[in-house]
Amino acid sequence: MSTESTLPPEPNPAIRRPSRRPEPGGPFAFVWDSVKMAWRWLTRMRTALYLLGVLALLTVVATAVPQEPNVPSTVGRWLTGEEGPGAGVSRVLDAFGAFDVYGSAAFLALTLLLFISLTACLIPRIRAWVRLVRTSKPPLVRHLGGQDQLATFTTDRTPDEAHAAAQQVLGERHWRLRAHAGDPPEERTAKPAQVAGEKGLWSREGGSLLFHLSFYVLLAAIVFGQLLTFEGQRGIVEGDTGFRDTAVSYWSYNPGRWFDETDHAGWRLDLDTFHVDWVRDPLAAGAGQPTEFRSEVTVTPPDGEPYQAEIDSNRPAMIDGMRVTQLDWGYAPRVVVEVDGEVVHDAFVHATASDGGFFSGAVKAPAAEPDVGLELFFYPFAPEGEDGQPVPTGAPWDDAPMLLFRQYRGDLQLGATQQTVNELDTTGLESEGGAFLRPGQSVELGDVTIRYPEHRRWVGYQVSSRPQIPALLAGAGLLVAGLIPALYAYRRRLWVLAVRDEATGRTLVTVAGRAFQRPEAFEAEHAAIVAELSAATGGGFDEAAEPPDRSDGSGYPRATEDRTDHDGDRPDHDDLTEAPTIRDRRTDVLPAPARSGPPSEVVRR
Amino acid sequence: MTQDLAELSRVLYSPTAIALYLSAAFVYLYALTTTVGRRDERERGRKAQMLGAVLTVLGLTAHIAHEIIRGIVQSRLPLGNMFEVTSLMALVGILVGVGYLTFVRKRPELNGFALIGGALLMGMSMLLYAEPGPLMPILDTWWRPFHVSMLVAAMGIFAAAFVFTGLYLLRDTGERAVAAGRTSVTRGSTVGAAYVGDLDGGGPDLDDDPDARDHDAEYRKALRAGIPIVKLAVGTFVVTGMVSWVWWVTEDSTRVGVTRFLTVNLVMVAAALLARWFVPFLPSTATLDGLAHRTVAFGFIMWTVGTIAGAMWAEVSWGRFWGWDPKETGAFLTWVAYAGYLHARATRGVQGRKAAWIGIGAFVVMMGTYLIANYVIVGLHSYAEL
Repeated sequence: MSTESTLPPEPNPAIRRPSRRPEPGGPFAFVWDSVKMAWRWLTRMRTALYLLGVLALLTVVATAVPQEPNVPSTVGRWLTGEEGPGAGVSRVLDAFGAFDVYGSAAFLALTLLLFISLTACLIPRIRAWVRLVRTSKPPLVRHLGGQDQLATFTTDRTPDEAHAAAQQVLGERHWRLRAHAGDPPEERTAKPAQVAGEKGLWSREGGSLLFHLSFYVLLAAIVFGQLLTFEGQRGIVEGDTGFRDTAVSYWSYNPGRWFDETDHAGWRLDLDTFHVDWVRDPLAAGAGQPTEFRSEVTVTPPDGEPYQAEIDSNRPAMIDGMRVTQLDWGYAPRVVVEVDGEVVHDAFVHATASDGGFFSGAVKAPAAEPDVGLELFFYPFAPEGEDGQPVPTGAPWDDAPMLLFRQYRGDLQLGATQQTVNELDTTGLESEGGAFLRPGQSVELGDVTIRYPEHRRWVGYQVSSRPQIPALLAGAGLLVAGLIPALYAYRRRLWVLAVRDEATGRTLVTVAGRAFQRPEAFEAEHAAIVAELSAATGGGFDEAAEPPDRSDGSGYPRATEDRTDHDGDRPDHDDLTEAPTIRDRRTDVLPAPARSGPPSEVVRR
Repeated sequence: MTQDLAELSRVLYSPTAIALYLSAAFVYLYALTTTVGRRDERERGRKAQMLGAVLTVLGLTAHIAHEIIRGIVQSRLPLGNMFEVTSLMALVGILVGVGYLTFVRKRPELNGFALIGGALLMGMSMLLYAEPGPLMPILDTWWRPFHVSMLVAAMGIFAAAFVFTGLYLLRDTGERAVAAGRTSVTRGSTVGAAYVGDLDGGGPDLDDDPDARDHDAEYRKALRAGIPIVKLAVGTFVVTGMVSWVWWVTEDSTRVGVTRFLTVNLVMVAAALLARWFVPFLPSTATLDGLAHRTVAFGFIMWTVGTIAGAMWAEVSWGRFWGWDPKETGAFLTWVAYAGYLHARATRGVQGRKAAWIGIGAFVVMMGTYLIANYVIVGLHSYAEL
């Protein structure tokens, strides 16, 4: 830079250096131009906000429309028009992938676009930040005019001693410092001797970068987690044979692509007792609410001694790195079906809770000829009314259990149609009437005898293995660790200028500061620094004290400070809105003539 | 005995605490109007502020006593259903709002708005009132107080931010209208403009200069007139309706549903009109915008931590950390909306009014998902006793 230049020197290099590569010309230049325009559009902050908005809309869709992976039967009913807005609308929804939003191409593409946009935004910011940390120095001033905070005091120490004291005071407060010995005053860009300090520049931007970078950790953890995870569900009846952790023994089995069947440890789980209770007094507060939900289990490791364990709502069991959680529960009536004296079914039936206050299940006995099917409705509390007939109530405790069933004969179509275990597909079956049974009772319908000797309870467990959890936690930790400085580290600059006042022979120390965020909080900090510095230099108050930038006798040119936006940060709105503009305007005058006061008092603007 | 205590806790809450907050709010609002008055008026305003402080402390005492007694009656922390959560949300909103304005910002005359916001939330919570009772076993863990209180505190803070954002938009609208009117009618004359936002006591001498007082009164009228009253009322009705339709559709009886819907909407419209009247006494737009930004930033951190804690609890309790359950989707949407607000504030061209509208939208998203996930769509989180 020539000495003729009136431009201030550039303390930090600009973020975007001009491209050195020649741009392609010729007939296909428009292709290159379109790509460039698309790239610019994609990497704008505003675009990222729009993309995030569309992503949010998709999650709304996923909440309003049933999702195939969660409730496939509901989706099926929507598609046939039995439920939802009708078959036509459902077909349109299906075409747009609305029944599997989180697995849809649109969702994946949007996530990809967001991450491309984020990457494109972050790379220059990270480079600028690294350059900032490695090379930037707090900027010097030529003149202290126009700063938010300004205070002056006098001391008998020399300017050099005052600067040394300032370095010590600010150093203890963790400011980044730059001491300047002063330029010869002939130079046009001469700057007086000073100590310049800066704070919050790295941490605010660094925190913001860390916050955004944590999304890559989270994304990686989620993607790899999808591949490595395992989730399976299985119900167990109290005191009945339990189940082994093998691929075939789960009711529902969802392994990640990289989860191998040999990853199962093969432990065994038996349910000894299941405790469940409710507030039974209908007049008590919270009547009907469950109060207990706990199972006592026996775990048998593949090569070890069996041991007892307890699984509570919030205390899952950990077995060989697999988490076992209670999902749901129900009653399991034992139903024995005999046809012509031959037992065709004798097992505990898993009845699941329904909205009507009963538990429903199904018996499918293909061993009979023709097949026998039973629809079961288990009412745990159906006391006898005045006429001797059971009165079903919605209460879930089994004080007066009753098993209601409807019998069907015909072809169960097992294997021919998709069926769930506890629902009977009654198409092609003939109803043979029904009856209700109390425990221990039996009933004969034609050649079929149905007995209900007892009932127990069953609990549905979820077994899951999620190796990604530590990575997810690390990502979440990084996110919060970045978020706090990104929002709460405030950028501040401070300059301490000490000059010899020829008239009095004393040293005039001026402390000027600038707050980029929250200036009102900086006011107190500035005052504290001034007080500390004036105490450290034995400073006091002088009749002739005037800020040097107003005295004009210092011989420095009246230029403004280098306020180049050299560090290239995005303008923070705080800079614009929170600056105390009105107060500045009103008080932008010479400080009032000094009154004598205690030594620590200072002139404040 | 327990029944009596339960009754006592209800009375402490409504009407006692609500009435105390509301009267404190009106006293504070009166004090706000005196900040531009004559010396004796200002003196009366100072006294009114002291009365307001006393009323606020009494209200807080009643509110906290309500929480404690309710906790004793059911021998658990009162954070188990919608009513309890909303009640605590109001308590946190008032404590944080009033504490921040009084001790950090040193603008106690603005407390009235925080108190009105809190009282409105409490009134809403009475629509969700549930008698004290025991807790579901799945909620009985130390995760609950951590996760729920974190999110509830964040909601309270967002509510305070919403009040500031709304006031900012009102004040900004008024100032813009005055500026536009001045340039067109008086051809750029700045008569009467000298005192804009100049409320910290350094303004013109209103005690001895009747002209300055007239100017001031005229300016106040112009500010108020700058906010179209019909547009404000209809706008508030529509924006509130985006959330309050939940009451309409979920109430079994249409008559009760419509009554509740209209009550909520008209109360919000009344609050907006009241705020419009107080616009001339508000601090500068920059201050209000800054207040909104600081509160959102704080609430955002709380919301983030609370949501992460919720995911951790879900992993322990349900065996999966995130399942796009309606509540989880709501938490995500709210997070995205407030992240959008914070990003808008840092983006050239979106700052100011546009960012403030995003802030309003984010609050609508938060309240909407909160009510919808509890009332309309049933998910794993539906423990609310309705």
